Amino acid sequence: MTRPWYWFAFRTDSATDAFATAPAYGADGTPLGFVAAWRVGAGRKPAGALGIDARAIDPEGEPAWISLALAQTGTRVFFDDPAVCQAMRVVLAGRPTDVMSTLVLDPSTIGGAFTATHRSTSDDLADDPFARIFPRTLLRVDRGFVGLMPAPAGPGVQRYSGTPWPWDSW
Amino acid sequence: MDVTTQRPAAGDRFIDFELPDHNGNRRKLSELVGGDPGILQFYRGFWCPKDQAFFRGLVRLQDQVEVAYTRMISVSVDPPEVEAAFRAGIGARWTFLSDEPRELQSQLGLLETTDTVHRPYIPTVFTLYPDLRIHCAYNGYWFWGRPTNDELGADLRAISRAIRADWEAPTLPRRRGEGTA
Repeated sequence: MTRPWYWFAFRTDSATDAFATAPAYGADGTPLGFVAAWRVGAGRKPAGALGIDARAIDPEGEPAWISLALAQTGTRVFFDDPAVCQAMRVVLAGRPTDVMSTLVLDPSTIGGAFTATHRSTSDDLADDPFARIFPRTLLRVDRGFVGLMPAPAGPGVQRYSGTPWPWDSW
Repeated sequence: MDVTTQRPAAGDRFIDFELPDHNGNRRKLSELVGGDPGILQFYRGFWCPKDQAFFRGLVRLQDQVEVAYTRMISVSVDPPEVEAAFRAGIGARWTFLSDEPRELQSQLGLLETTDTVHRPYIPTVFTLYPDLRIHCAYNGYWFWGRPTNDELGADLRAISRAIRADWEAPTLPRRRGEGTA
């Protein structure tokens, strides 16, 4: 891994050029689209893609539930917004999930948050603090997409060189 | 560092120990410190009024630490679930580590021998470089041996100045012909 982040997107069509992709379903099993990830620098940035911590993605990963909070198109929220910082504090204060990465729209702007658990139920994702800022969709994905991350060390709520939070070094 | 007879001191490199955190996940010190300056605190336990008073100061400091690319780690012999409850109660958002078997405590020579009931850590605070070298060690057996937030700030400034290559804010490169007679 040369960079600590990948491109991520949730879209209606499958992505043939992604290095990891999986169909995504709602809690009732309804197909909702596809999640996909691309390596940064492997071609042009895919349309609508957001930066995500590379550890969040694993083509060999176990099935997972994802709480995907996404900023609506045209909405611009800065990482330094007090609401975003408070959501990060809530993440640090609470019990860690298997995966948590903010999504980077550009070096200053948050595109949302990706929180996931490999447990059989989505109970761990019931209180996603980023769902208080952005519309949230609960997704179920099969094996082959979601990775595993160590719990954030805390108490930092700032990012390193524009990478997704909570990446832990420069 | 002689880990059996000599307590860690300024200039030593801390051993890269691994302990369960307040949620029971195994965590290595180097992973928690990452590439940043760190405050490593050993405390007696949730029951100690001196620790409670000291933690109130650390929680105040947390508001600055959280924006300053700096880590905080607290270690005790309390079990993880007790640490989790204490951490939540005081509003801490950094990682607590549990040395319930007291193996690390023995290695570091930090058993408080005068408390035969709790057998806790001697309250001790270290400020660390990212490579786990100790900048300062504070023996808090007596309360006033513990660092104030101002002292911690001074340590973290010194460490940051030493490790941040861009401590002096970068300037724009001078354009050709600019500043010449």
